[in-house]
Amino acid sequence: MGIPIPNSKLGMWLFLGTEIMFFTAFIGSYIVLRLGSNGWPTRYEDTHINVLLGGINTFVLIVSSYCVVVAHEAMAQKSFARARGYLWVTTILAFLFLGIKGIEYKGKIDHDILPGRIPETSSQAMVKVADQLEELVRERFHAYTHADVIKAERPADIIGIAPLVQALPSAERPSSLTDAEFKAFQASSVVDYALFQQWLDLKQHIVADVSLDSPALTADYLAKREELAEGARLPALKLEEVRERLARLKTSGPLKVKAGDALPEQSGSPEQAAATGDAGQDAVTALNTQMAGLISARVFDPHPMVYGNIFASCYFIMTGFHAIHVIVGMILFGMVLKQGSSLNERWTDWVENSGLYWHFVDLVWIFLFPLLYII
Amino acid sequence: MSHDDHQTHHVNYLAVFFVLCGCTGLSVLFDVLSMPKGVTIVLVLAVACAKAMSVMMYFMHLKFEGNWKYVLLAPTTILAIGLPIALFPDIGRSYYINAAPQVTSWADEVAEYEREHAAATEGGAH
Repeated sequence: MGIPIPNSKLGMWLFLGTEIMFFTAFIGSYIVLRLGSNGWPTRYEDTHINVLLGGINTFVLIVSSYCVVVAHEAMAQKSFARARGYLWVTTILAFLFLGIKGIEYKGKIDHDILPGRIPETSSQAMVKVADQLEELVRERFHAYTHADVIKAERPADIIGIAPLVQALPSAERPSSLTDAEFKAFQASSVVDYALFQQWLDLKQHIVADVSLDSPALTADYLAKREELAEGARLPALKLEEVRERLARLKTSGPLKVKAGDALPEQSGSPEQAAATGDAGQDAVTALNTQMAGLISARVFDPHPMVYGNIFASCYFIMTGFHAIHVIVGMILFGMVLKQGSSLNERWTDWVENSGLYWHFVDLVWIFLFPLLYII
Repeated sequence: MSHDDHQTHHVNYLAVFFVLCGCTGLSVLFDVLSMPKGVTIVLVLAVACAKAMSVMMYFMHLKFEGNWKYVLLAPTTILAIGLPIALFPDIGRSYYINAAPQVTSWADEVAEYEREHAAATEGGAH
């Protein structure tokens, strides 16, 4: 009496039983969450889900599943060299699968489609733009405090440091810096201060929730508020305005100048201009253009996506755990391939059991592909 | 690791492979065709189930295994299906509302207070 299969196979099937529950927990929760949501991001522009890459990966896993089953058949027929060949193909296909998955993940990371990082409303999207600009300002200001060009008791206080950055073109060179180094800092300070102003202006408009057309947190703003009739409000800040402001920053930089143009007034006082000189102006315009590129790379276009975070969580938890299973499968096949030409019938059960495991990995993907890529 | 009981079943694995490839193509086709969303979902999931059955029956040899497969897989399948059913009433029905219930009720309380207060003031004026 007893179950008429080897113990190892029984063990594998029992393990697969737990695996079924493991993945059904994710897939079932995903279906329930999706059905319970009043919307779900499905457009490519939102999700960057690439059906073609998903389809290719499905094909890759099907081919690998076929190779495994044929490898097991070859093992049973004691045709070990053939079995090894098929297992090699399977392992290479597993690498290919992970490579394609890596490309998909990179696309998500490049567009910041990550759990907890997706703005779901317009206001969240605007705050995210301000936060990312702030991060850039902090990084730029850190260069001055770190090199002791600016000595500050509280280097993290960028609002306190900003006047020091603004005054740098007319400041005296610290003895720790060479003349060329200090001039480079003077030139960049003009651009960095302009970036700071852009960030602060946007931040103040977000806090006050007024249109970029109206001044925020100034005497004019307060006067305008006084003039309002009871219950009336200043025009609220719109996502489109922030989007336009950011697009301008990304194309022309924080200073609004093109190469060869004279510096605008906001870049500094006449003393500052004298300090930087013509060569300095060229450097400033070049830095401004460079900064536009930096803003493009570091600050994402505002793109609110309702239910985006729960979508990203589901996507990464399901595909991530599936990818871990693929890696485990590769290790199982690697153990067989390590035997080289000394592979023998003692490994037949191993190949059968790892084949069962691999088919299960394929089975999970069979459901993930339509659920994540098509529906 | 060895055992001599490896029965060979004459399965045309290549045919199963082509069926799986065809089904994948069918899934993509259903996505490309502009059909009502509900129809696409049903068709695509039906194809996924067909693919899963093919893999389990032929690649995993369940078609040729004894009745132990039911003993082994029935409990896990029941539990796996049970989880989404258990989750559905709590999460599957509008789990994600924008207005926080406690804030809404607080606003209601304030409105109620103001109404009562206004009535009391008016009453006092008379």
